[in-house]
Amino acid sequence: MANEYVDAGTAMRYQDLSADAGSAPPVTKGVTYDRLLNARDEPQNWLTYYGAYDGQRYSPLDQINASNVDKLKPEWVYQVGSMGLHSGASTYAWEASPIVVDGIMFVSAWDGMLFALDAQTGSELWRYKHASPFDVSLCCGNVNRGVAVAEGLVFMTTLNAHIIALDAETGNKVWDKTYGDVRAGESATVAPLVVKDMVIVGSSGGEFGVRGHTDAFKRETGEHVWRCYMIPKPGEPGSDTWPADGEAWQRGGANCWITPTYDPGLNLLYYGTGNPCPDFDGGVREGDNLYTDSGVAVDADTGEIKAHFQYTPHDLWDYDSVMEHILFDLDGQKLAAHFDKNGFMYILDRTDMSAVRVAPFVDRIDWGEVDEMGNVTAKVYPDKEGDPVHFWPGPAGAKEWTHACYSPKTELLYVPVQDVGATATRRRREFKESIPYWGAGVAVDGDDQAGYVSAYDPRTGQERWRWTNDICMCSSLLATGGGLVFGGEPTGEFNAYDDSSGDLLWHFQCGSGHHSSPSSYSVDGKQYVVAPAGWGGWAEGFLPKMLGSSHGSALFAFALPD
Amino acid sequence: MADVPGLDKQNGVTLGRILGRTTVGEAEEGSGGKMTATIRIPEDELVYEPGVLVMPHGGILELTLINDDKNTHCAVLPSNGDTQFIWLVNHSKGTATLELDGPGYYWYGSTTGNDEGRGLTGAIVVGGQVPDEAKLDRPPQPQPDV
Repeated sequence: MANEYVDAGTAMRYQDLSADAGSAPPVTKGVTYDRLLNARDEPQNWLTYYGAYDGQRYSPLDQINASNVDKLKPEWVYQVGSMGLHSGASTYAWEASPIVVDGIMFVSAWDGMLFALDAQTGSELWRYKHASPFDVSLCCGNVNRGVAVAEGLVFMTTLNAHIIALDAETGNKVWDKTYGDVRAGESATVAPLVVKDMVIVGSSGGEFGVRGHTDAFKRETGEHVWRCYMIPKPGEPGSDTWPADGEAWQRGGANCWITPTYDPGLNLLYYGTGNPCPDFDGGVREGDNLYTDSGVAVDADTGEIKAHFQYTPHDLWDYDSVMEHILFDLDGQKLAAHFDKNGFMYILDRTDMSAVRVAPFVDRIDWGEVDEMGNVTAKVYPDKEGDPVHFWPGPAGAKEWTHACYSPKTELLYVPVQDVGATATRRRREFKESIPYWGAGVAVDGDDQAGYVSAYDPRTGQERWRWTNDICMCSSLLATGGGLVFGGEPTGEFNAYDDSSGDLLWHFQCGSGHHSSPSSYSVDGKQYVVAPAGWGGWAEGFLPKMLGSSHGSALFAFALPD
Repeated sequence: MADVPGLDKQNGVTLGRILGRTTVGEAEEGSGGKMTATIRIPEDELVYEPGVLVMPHGGILELTLINDDKNTHCAVLPSNGDTQFIWLVNHSKGTATLELDGPGYYWYGSTTGNDEGRGLTGAIVVGGQVPDEAKLDRPPQPQPDV
């Protein structure tokens, strides 16, 4: 018998070789659409991507406030790390926003990882790992921006453009649908949004010459409900903004890689759309190129485009407009606030997407002029082949995808700002499916930059206060009922600011930069603020000076001492 | 194109084996669509054979793993749900069931010591296309030709 093989058995789940508990309490079974509609009435929870459909990223919790925030300390830390050869091995970053339901946290990381954690202790309850192809096309790193929960399920998109539904108690897969073509250069990083009986997602791939779209699936079964393309085909509304005799529309971009906000009264989803493609070579796509770089209102039931506002017609600077549209009512008006990469803040009437007020929010803007109603006059842009052109803001934008917030207490908007330029040199290339399609060589400025957290009055468009930094600010902000605004720095500090003055009241060094979306919750009457820290992603695009910083991969939960 | 002898062996030009220069094998597809394949670790080579395993399309792969080496290794394998782990003592044989949806390719390895760096890193390639309903509504596009 000496030559017989030893029985090595059957491979097991890696999580079975950890302290992972294997299951979570059934907290999401009662998360209905009605609860999602009224998410802010449950301040102990963070039920959906922005905390509520309006995208305000505001928590009414006030236990942690301006008088005691200096005592804030880490309550627990959860770490992930990186193992083996995986896609974007040098660009992974923790960009998610944690969801919390009745003491249980659901948070994605990168590379198809999703964790259920005890929100009081940070202990792992279960994990899911989607096998992501090593060779999937990723413009901007191996990242994922979060999950959605409802009716016993957790939803996540994967790098290879699947939407999956997991049993929230076990992490076992319930359904799995493919909604993008990785061979065409599509991928997915967006946090899903549950609306009614649907889960809604969007595509990534705007640097690879795809046709951006958003899709809705039945929440329970994964049945496809609708798809909305953000680039019209010939003959469809908006198609006259593309060359009539060309193929440009087929690869025009306008991806929806950030979660929309939602107005249930108007039944409209508010999307920001990505850049046109090729990013910097407008000569092959004459016209305004709808619906790139736009705010687009989409009927939630049908996927039909109802209204739009294009921030940067015929973009030549890579000014995606994917960032959030914050919904709020003020002085009887239904408004949406949007801070665009192009350096301007837009206050829109969200019933028809018309401009109410437009104002700059960054010091250096020279790419063009935008009047108070949003009309654009382009001034500085890559035009001649091989001719370097410098412009502000650079393609990282005056604000990245990371989110601004709004406090209904102060009626102020708070925004993370990047004041950095770039040089683009047009280099025309032919289109080939799945190959990057930029149409230029681009270098973002290194040393000449600044960052700030600013507060803006949406009534006037005036800046009320500014906290300045010597490098760009690019983590999402969180406003709370405690009179605080939280946000992280690229150098690792997690900060709390006074929401009325901008004074820095507290900070903690997390050991790696912040490029994520903190959230807040409470368990048994104790308030926590949770922040994923893990630098990476498209750092060469938004902050090349910090390209060599440590990656990190830790989730910090902060609370006051007992 | 020049080649350098001694890259495809242990302690040749390199200390271990350059990754990705080993043999290529194909998974067999059964009548029910399930795919099967066998991967071996030969003696003193610190590689998986075949080093590149090709599945014709996404789906379930029943893998048999055999360690013919006189040292202990393992395999940490990609699969939807969770990474799969199997410990492979000297002269042992086991199985793993993997779900890979592809298209694309996935690395796996022996995560003990620096087995991965010495050469025990393999690839599973998933061919095929995404479902038609997931494809973009546009005419066929130019493809890379090199």
